[in-house]
Amino acid sequence: MTQFKQSRRNFMQTSAAAAAAFATGGVAGLGSALAARPKELNILCWEGYNSAQVLDPFRESKGATVKAESLTNDPTMINRLRAGEINVWDLINVNNPWARKIMYPEKLIKPLDRAKMEPYFEKMMPMFKPPYKWAMDDSGKELLGMCQRFGPYSFVVNTDKVSREAAEDQGWDLWNDPANSKKYGILESDDWNVFGLCCIAGFDPFKQHDDADVAKFTDAAKRVFRGAKMVGDIATMNQAMISGEIDFHLTGGTYSASPARHDGATNIRGITPKKGPMRDGLGGIAWIEVTSIVNNPDVSPLAAEFLEYVQDPKIAHTVAFAEGTFNPVAQMGSKECFDLFTKEELDAIQWDSLEEEMSRSIEYDIVPDYDKLLDIMTAAKREASGG
Amino acid sequence: MSLRKFAAGPLCALPIGLFLLIGFAAPLLAVIGFSFMPPRTFGLFLNPTLVNYIEIVDSTSYISFLWSLALAAVTVAILAVICYPVAYGMARIFGKWSMLVTLLFTIPLFVSENVRLYGWVLFFIKNGVLLGTLKSVFGIEADSWLFTTGIILWGMVYVYLPFMLFPMTLGVAMVPDQIREAALDLGATRWQVFREVELPLSMPGIMIGFLLSFVLAVGAITEAKVLGGQRVIPIIHDIEIAFTYAQNWPLGAALAVLLMLVVGFLVLLVLRRFDLDAILGRR
Repeated sequence: MTQFKQSRRNFMQTSAAAAAAFATGGVAGLGSALAARPKELNILCWEGYNSAQVLDPFRESKGATVKAESLTNDPTMINRLRAGEINVWDLINVNNPWARKIMYPEKLIKPLDRAKMEPYFEKMMPMFKPPYKWAMDDSGKELLGMCQRFGPYSFVVNTDKVSREAAEDQGWDLWNDPANSKKYGILESDDWNVFGLCCIAGFDPFKQHDDADVAKFTDAAKRVFRGAKMVGDIATMNQAMISGEIDFHLTGGTYSASPARHDGATNIRGITPKKGPMRDGLGGIAWIEVTSIVNNPDVSPLAAEFLEYVQDPKIAHTVAFAEGTFNPVAQMGSKECFDLFTKEELDAIQWDSLEEEMSRSIEYDIVPDYDKLLDIMTAAKREASGG
Repeated sequence: MSLRKFAAGPLCALPIGLFLLIGFAAPLLAVIGFSFMPPRTFGLFLNPTLVNYIEIVDSTSYISFLWSLALAAVTVAILAVICYPVAYGMARIFGKWSMLVTLLFTIPLFVSENVRLYGWVLFFIKNGVLLGTLKSVFGIEADSWLFTTGIILWGMVYVYLPFMLFPMTLGVAMVPDQIREAALDLGATRWQVFREVELPLSMPGIMIGFLLSFVLAVGAITEAKVLGGQRVIPIIHDIEIAFTYAQNWPLGAALAVLLMLVVGFLVLLVLRRFDLDAILGRR
């Protein structure tokens, strides 16, 4: 139970601070007079980091009040900071491109103590060998965040209906085959669906697109949404595939398939195409989370401590299997962490093909004309209404 | 004395007035203000523009508006047909059992709408409770009912039923027995009693039920998302996309303002046709 504990001495100190603040500049002054937040930490994150399994041991060991809000898309989180919540949050956990390409240039985050934090990258899986591109700023001098969860994220099939081999070979053309109309769903993940539709249309999502690309995208968006049996969240997609409503769904991978796989439905499998329209003919897209310290003027000292706390092998394992979705973590590069994963857990996160799938994927990046493509996709979805 | 008398009312109303101003008017004004801001900006004090409204007119947003209004109108019509007999029964026939019926309709409200709708998904999904039972017991293999417009309507009728039923029950209960009996004694047929006595006198409850369920149904989104698999995109979904993935708060705000205007206009139109004050006998 939370108790209000305040001694007479504390009360007098607080009152004096408040009086001084009001005397010297009103409410704004009050904020700075009471600025120190040694026992408070606010985290803006994807689900998992907000779970009691992850946060409670930290709360208990630090005697801290830790609040975490989970959202399910990066742009919303970043715009929360842009809209003024930079004073609220201490840590932000988003996908790889945002830290170095958007948040650091816009001064929304601040660099970490590189000498202290970079050694943790040495213990991670080989792909995170320091200096790891997505954790660094453009100059390569500043460390902007710590990595943990990651995974390939292209699409998911029910291997009882479409074999892994066939799906990997056919790749994004699964959605160009008219025979597949009404056999698939679309995960409600609009930013990623833009990437997927670009691949279906036959071009790299992460480059500037010309009019011909936009026309192809428009056509693909209309066709794909008309042919979809439904659009829904992860639970709906997994349930629909298990029940036989659909055979595969757009946008998905370890992150979305793992809950079903962990529940025994190992025929639900994230697929990374063998080839595609991206750099070097790669067909898959992968995400890597980067957790950064917000450029909060009164940032909590617990922010850096939390980043170290989640590097612990046991906590890293807890993060990988926190409530919601299950994901590989970079810390599996250390034997101590890897040994904590059971055979079933490794199967749930498709450990058998993880390295292969990551090698076939390019990392998630910023789409230069995302706004335009999203508007086209939203209109296509709307126009497919009732169809 | 007169000054104190003058000041007492406004003074007493001041706290609730301030509360309403902060809690109700301020967010509404913020939404209206945002709708005039340049697209994809986050400030409330930039140069005002009509570009969001122009964009909406030029786009296919009308499809979402029409879907929302049509689904709400059909839901209200279905609810009226379903609820009137039940309301009549609760007010006049069920007697002591009407409490049980009331409980049966209200207990589901204690469970979150999302959970109840996901329950229906499990019921209707292929190889789920309904189709799985039909297949295993009777050997009947039927197509899934999920992800269709019909199932969205089912969900909306299910969710908004109490909001039509209870005002309607109050309306029916307002009709004095003596008036019905007098009409029957004077030779009116059962149909005439219904059409000329019971229906007009229970109209306040019926109208409140219509308005309440219509306004709520226009704002429905979960039924189309969970049961309908987004095969229909209602206007609230467009607003949600604008505020989240698109991060276009001004566009979302403009859509919200237009929705308020459209719904407000329709409600005023109905209220002009059916004057609740007059029906309630206040003037």
